[in-house]
This record gives sequence, structure tokens and C-alpha cells, in this order.
Amino acid sequence: MVISARKQRTVRAWLVALAASFLLPGMVFAQSYSEAPALAEAVAAGDLPPVEERLPSNPLVIQPVDEVGTYGGTIRRAFTGPGDSNNYVRWVYDALVRFDSEGAEIVPHLLEGWESSDDFTTWTLNMREGAKWSDGDDFTADDIMFYYNGVVLNEDLTPSTPAWLANTDGTPATFTKVDDYTIQVEFDFPNTLFLTELTFRDGADRTLAAFLPSHYLGQFHPDVAGEEAVQALVDEAGLSSWVDLFMQKAIPPDNADRPTMAAWVAEDSTVSDDVFVVRRNPYFIGVDTAGNQLPYVDEVQFRYFADVEALNFAAVAGEFDFQARHIQMPNFPVLVENSERSGYRVITWPTFGGSDAALWVNQNYTLDEELGELLANRDFRIALSHGIEREEIRESAFLGLGEIRQPVPAPWHPYYPGDEAATRYTEFDPDTANAMLDELGLTRGSDGMRSLPSGAPLRLEISVVPAFGPWPDVAQLIASDFAELGITTDVQVRERTAHFTMRDSNELMMEIWNEDTTAFPFTGNPKIDPRSNPATIFAVENRTWYETNGERGWEPEGSIARIVEIIEEAKTVGVDRQIELAQELYTLASEEVFAIGTVGLTPMIQGVVVINENLRNVPAVVANDWPLRTPGDARPEQFFYGN
Amino acid sequence: MHLFILKRLLIAPFLLAIFSVIAFVLIQAPPGDFLTSYIAELAQGGTSIGQEQIEALRQQYGLDRPTYVQYFVWVGNLLQGDLGTSFEWRRSNAELIGERLALTLTMTTISLIFTWAIAIPAGIISAVRQYSGIDYVITVLNYIGLATPNFLLALLIMWFAFDQFGVTVTGLFSPEYVAAPWSLARVADMMSRIWLPALVLAVAGTAEVARVVRANLLDELDRPYTEMARAKGLPEWRLVLKYPTRVAIAPVISTLGWYIPRLLSGGLVVSVVMSLPTIGPLLLRSLIGQDMYLAGTIILLYSVLTIVGTLLSDILLALLDPRIRTA
Repeated sequence: MVISARKQRTVRAWLVALAASFLLPGMVFAQSYSEAPALAEAVAAGDLPPVEERLPSNPLVIQPVDEVGTYGGTIRRAFTGPGDSNNYVRWVYDALVRFDSEGAEIVPHLLEGWESSDDFTTWTLNMREGAKWSDGDDFTADDIMFYYNGVVLNEDLTPSTPAWLANTDGTPATFTKVDDYTIQVEFDFPNTLFLTELTFRDGADRTLAAFLPSHYLGQFHPDVAGEEAVQALVDEAGLSSWVDLFMQKAIPPDNADRPTMAAWVAEDSTVSDDVFVVRRNPYFIGVDTAGNQLPYVDEVQFRYFADVEALNFAAVAGEFDFQARHIQMPNFPVLVENSERSGYRVITWPTFGGSDAALWVNQNYTLDEELGELLANRDFRIALSHGIEREEIRESAFLGLGEIRQPVPAPWHPYYPGDEAATRYTEFDPDTANAMLDELGLTRGSDGMRSLPSGAPLRLEISVVPAFGPWPDVAQLIASDFAELGITTDVQVRERTAHFTMRDSNELMMEIWNEDTTAFPFTGNPKIDPRSNPATIFAVENRTWYETNGERGWEPEGSIARIVEIIEEAKTVGVDRQIELAQELYTLASEEVFAIGTVGLTPMIQGVVVINENLRNVPAVVANDWPLRTPGDARPEQFFYGN
Repeated sequence: MHLFILKRLLIAPFLLAIFSVIAFVLIQAPPGDFLTSYIAELAQGGTSIGQEQIEALRQQYGLDRPTYVQYFVWVGNLLQGDLGTSFEWRRSNAELIGERLALTLTMTTISLIFTWAIAIPAGIISAVRQYSGIDYVITVLNYIGLATPNFLLALLIMWFAFDQFGVTVTGLFSPEYVAAPWSLARVADMMSRIWLPALVLAVAGTAEVARVVRANLLDELDRPYTEMARAKGLPEWRLVLKYPTRVAIAPVISTLGWYIPRLLSGGLVVSVVMSLPTIGPLLLRSLIGQDMYLAGTIILLYSVLTIVGTLLSDILLALLDPRIRTA
């Protein structure tokens, strides 16, 4: 594949992201704004200030995907209980800055803009003057300083400095309030990834967002309300510490009273209820290009399902207006078949690169020394890779969707290492595979099955969790391919908790998991980084070595050490060099095949999207990944019902 | 008789103590804890969580303490009437179980009524008309009822209802009533839906009870007292219902006590498949998620009901059959 125009455009977009993004708001000329009819009534009745006073002086302008919409309606969705609160987090994507729908560019959201010093050590965050929390209180620099002073610097809430705010010596970065709408953040090193990290600080996973309503949460914080007053509240709630109380109050989907900046806010329900309802935030900072305050849709309902199968059945029956999360890809044909009678349409948003079922090979396997050495032998992994008939997997497990590839970024992403790396060793070639296995001294017995050089039988195990998609099927297909090569392979389908526990205790030889972090190798918990926890099985002993500062575990060597070097360097260099490093990283990954890719770019993860046939402005394609908070990056606030 | 009841009541607390230990140990037996499962669930949703945060949560939930300490904390709270808080739901277990209790009981009671209303007449007809066409029909239906897993029946009915009539029969409420406060309309909505899962749950029980009634009644129909009544010229149907049937359904009545725990646990799989807001799915989920205090509390509740139910059965049996009292 040639490098597409799209890719070049994205690279350029990436490079000019910082400069371009804070010029956008200047395009708005409208000084008068419109609002939803219900809000206009409330204004007329004197219950709400006029829309001009509720919006910041420089509102966020969201470009509608197709057309300017009209107000009204409810979007019905499904969720699977409190553990699924990220269902809401993804929907509202309530962050200081966000990714665009291609996942390539960071754009302003709650922030109006930002600047960095030339050496990337100092970042200036510009807030929107006049922006307000959902209860009408001002959203100012104090709300970010409250996060810094009250949370980051507080040892009860934050025992150790979060990695994304740490200086090289481990101390936290310095936040300074310049004025009511300006914050300066200073690091002791060039932190080029600060802005990317900031997109993730949206109160996901029940962590705290990097901006908190100080006027509300202050009453639960001893620094603001005083220790005695807070202790009284802790006693009253029957909790053991103020941290418990604070955390109970601070996470929006758990507490309807907590003001937010999101487009929809909870009024009286939480994610522990049978239906979690969020309604239009009258103070939302965004407008469309015609000056209509967003969101268009009045209300979003998340209905609880104890069982994913029942949820999928309800989707087939047309009970949801927008649902991709928990929709199982194998149901795609049934969904399409019933779309007309149930009044919805089905589109697909492929995953954002990587592999949707990769065979991760443990490089630190210790339960059997000889086998451990074999798994760590690159030639053995290449032979295995050549032995897999991927087209069969694509046809039977992935409904013929997606592409055969190694776990590297998508072709349109700047980090794409090129076609050679993407398809390396993916050719089905049993002759080469067998020759390489013979070369390794794995001789076949009379039954045709191979033994280790010591004479012990060669027996592999693939551990697989029946999650996401058709992984148990993929594992079975791979196992039968390996049997053809003379390698006895067992497939163990494990309950996910058991699998995770065995992963941590380094008892797994190989696992099927996906590689969905290829676009974000330098932030968060990338799967290719041996230090990530939880990530995959490929280097548990190396991870322990990093975690214990070399006291326990194995010191990484060779390519694994190089991966860590690359990631560390990327955190301090400019975008151009980051792209080079990422490409080197994925070229290395495809050469080493720690993760043997099968099929990627399918809609496996939350990519089969069931949409009410009357819902408009849903983009046909968006980059689909957790760091982008899909479908939040499709901008649900500009979805609307047409006729 | 009184001594018998008293003895049984005195043993109950010891039984409960043993059950609580077994329940707790079993729940803790699988590898990992609530947090491992929470991390796994997040990963399944395409999300990850930092190691420091996991450790902080582990401390907050007390999962870093030894198992026996966790057990005594739980039992200590139970003795003070505190059923504890669910890790996953962040709500009190009493509340979670309470809101599902009434729905569960309503559904299973209706199912019990269905069972008896269908099974007893079917058993009687089957016995009185032994080896007739209708007996064979009922017998075949019984075997089908016994042999069909009821969740499969639920799935078939759900698909049929959707495919033929375009209606979904999952849940106990229509979407607009799921979150609505209780009202007459909501009760009516529930009643318009609850009969289906109740019927599905009743099928296997119906088959079982009908077979028992048939077999018992066949024994009684040849007894001298029946012959006597017949000789005296009583109309056949009155005769059958008045004398042998009363004897034949005695075992059904006396096992009523066994239904009490079943009323709560009944139809777990059906409830999951049909997405019913009953206790069964809550238990299943708490076990999978290792939400141990919630799971333990539900299992202990089942244990209490089993003890009470067995006691009730024994008393009923003793009342019906004097031979058991003295044995």
C-alpha cells in the first residue's frame, strides 16, 4: 500500500495541531445564541439566566457532521451496571482537551487553547472566560488549582506522584495560577506528551478528573472545609476516612449532586440504578456553527442489563437509539437482517490499528526452563507465525472483515511503520515453518508430533478469555494449525479473573489478547511496554524488575530493553522524532513477533454501531479506541433526530 | 412434637454458622479477588487502571487483610443487623436484595400457582383415565416438560414472540416503566409480563408434580375405601376428588416447605436469559465479580430459608402422618 494522501494530511495536521487549534474559536462571529425550547421557557419564567450569560464569552464551536440540527428527543442506550460507568465517560468525553474524530489531532474543549514554551517544559493553559459548571457556578483556574493542591499534592488522596505529572526526580510538576483563566504548568524536562496525557484526565475509571468543582467538593476536603467539619460528615456517612467520602462524592456517575462540565448531567440517578438518566446541561459550553447551544438531544438513558446476550437481543429488537458498546460482532448479520423492521441502521467503526486477536508469547516463562528458552527464541515465534492460516481465521471468526496483519498501527496513522512491517511473517507457509522448527532441533516422533531437544514432549498451551469477540474460536484454529506443524497445543478457556491472576503470577505460556494501543505507545498503559500493568503476559519478570527497581525479576535485554528506551526518549522529543521512534518501535515489534498478529482493523471492539434510523450527524467513520473515548470522539452532542 | 420443633430450632444457629463459613470459603476459593475481577471487567471494556489506584482500592475495601479477618468483620456486622455493602454496586446489600425480593417472590409464587393449577388436575385425569389417549398425551407432554431445560424454552419463546409479533418479552417491565415509581399502571405493566417467565419456570415443576399425583392416585384408586365409596353409589368424579385425591396430593403439600428457598433461587438461568430483575442474576453476578459480601449474604439468606423450609416440611409431614411424629 502506498502512503495515502490521508496519511500525509494527518501528519501535517498532527504537526500543526498546536498552532491551528486555538485559532478556531476566532471563526465565530455570532453574538446571539439560541437554546432548546425547554430552556427558553425556563429563562422566560425567570428560573434560568439567559443563554448568553450561561455560555462563556468564547464558546466552543462544534462543527456538525452533516447539518445544523434541531432540538429534542431521547437517546436510549444500555449499560451493564456500575462496573460499566465508562459507558457514560466515553459518551460525554468531558475533558480539558479532546482528540478529533480521526484520533490524530488534539483540539480545545473546556480549554480555549494552550501554548508551550519552545523547550516544552512550560505549558500555559487558557480557560474560557465565563464558562460555568452545570449548577451555574463559575469554572475558573481555581478548579484546576484545587485538583493540584487538593488532590495531587495531598498525600492521603495521592500517595505517590502520578507518572504523567512527575518530574525526572519524581517530584510533581508545578502548577501556577496566572490569573482567573490561566494556569501555568512547569516540568523540569521537555514534556512533549503533556497535552496528550491531559486528554485522558476526564474522570475515567473512577479516577479524578484534572479539573474539579472546588465550590462543591471543597466541603468534603479538610484543606478547604477544615478537618472537624469533614470528620463530622465522614462519621455521619458511616465511612472510615475522608478519602472514602471524597471519592464517593467526586465521581460524576456515582453522585448526581456533583456538578460537571459535560453536555448531559445526571439529575437524580447514578450508575447503580436500573436506568441511569442524564439530561441536557443548560450551562454546556458548546454551540453549533449557527450559534445553537448544544446538545441537541434532551436526554440520554442508560438501561441496565445483567446479561450481554439479553442486551444484544434488545438491540436486535430496536430498543436502543445508539449502541456500540457490548454489541457482539458475531451478531452483525442478525442485526443487519432485522434493521428495517426494528427501525435502526448498522454501521461499522473498525478498531484503530493493531490486532484484534494476537497470540502473545511469554518471553519470561519460568515454569519449564527449556520451554521458556524456546518461547524466547525469535525463530520459533517466526515459525509459529508462518504456521497460522490467517485467512481461515478472518473468514470464520471475523465474518470476513478486517485485514491480515501484525499488531502495528493503522495505515492512515503517522506511526504506521510501512507495509513490510505490517505483513511481516503473516504469509501462511507451513514448509518454511517446518524447516525452521526442524532447524531448532524439535524432531518429530513416530506419531508426527515434535519433541524438545531434550526429548521431552513439546506441548504448548494457549489461555483465552471468552471476552470481546471470537477469541476461543481463534485459539482453536491456531491450535489446529500448530498441530499440523507437529506441535501439540491445548486451548484453555479461562474465566477472566482466573486468567488475570495467572497472568500476574506468570503461569501462562501464551494468550490471545488484542493490541489496541498502537496509536498511543508513549502514554497510558501501552501493551507493547513491558512495564505496563495490567497489560499482557509477554514480560512479567521484566515488569517486576522495573517495579522493584532491579531488586527482583529479570533485567530486560535486547529488544525489550530497546522498547523501553524508545518510549522514554519519545516522552521528551518533538512530534517528528516521536513519529520516527514509533515507526522504529513497531518495526522492531513486527520483527520480534512477541505478539503474533492475526487479523486487525475489524469492528470487533464496540465497532458494530446500531443507530436509530432517524438519528442524524453520526459520522460514517471515526477512529475507534478507548483513549479517544469513542463514541465521544464522534461528538454525540451534535447528534439530533431528523424526520 | 413441641420438643421436636424446639430441638430443630436450637440446631439452626449452629447450622447457619457452619453454612456461613462454607459459603465464605467457597466464594473466596477462586483465584483473585473483587479487584482482579474489576480490572478484568475494565479491560474487557477496553479500559485500564493504574497499579497505585488498584492498591489504594484494595486497602479501601480491606481486601489486603487475611481471609479470616474479612470473615469475622462480615459476620460481626451481620450479627449487628448490618448486611454490608456491595463492592460493585456501592450500595447496601440490604437495599439491593430488598428491591429484588418482592419481585422474585411475586414471580415464583405465580409460578407455583401455575404449577399446581395445571399439574394436579393433569395428574388426576391421567390417573383416572390410565392408558387412555389423554393419559398418553399428558404423559408425553410431561416428559417433554421435564426434559426441556427451561432457559431453552425461554429463548425459544423470546425468539418466537419477536419473530412473529415483533414484541420483546425480556424484563419484567416495559422500557417506559423500568425506572418509573410504583403505581397501579406499573403493577399492571408488570402483571402483563410476569406471567410468561412464571409459566416458563412452572413447566418443569408441573411435569414433576403431575407424575407424583398420578402415581399416588393410582395406588389409592384400588384401595378398599375407594371401592366402598364406589359401591355406595357416589358419582365417580366426586368420589375421586373427595377421598383418594386428598391422600394422593399429601406429599405435594408436605413438600411445600422445600419451595421456600426455591422461591428465591428458582430459575436463575431463566432470569439471566430473560433479563429479569430478580435475585438470581444478582447472585450470579456477585459470584463472577467476587463481590464476596453480597454473594455471601445472598447465600446465607438461601441457607436460612432452606433451614426454615425443611423445618416447615417436617412439621407439615408430622401433622399429616402421625407415624413420623413418633419415629
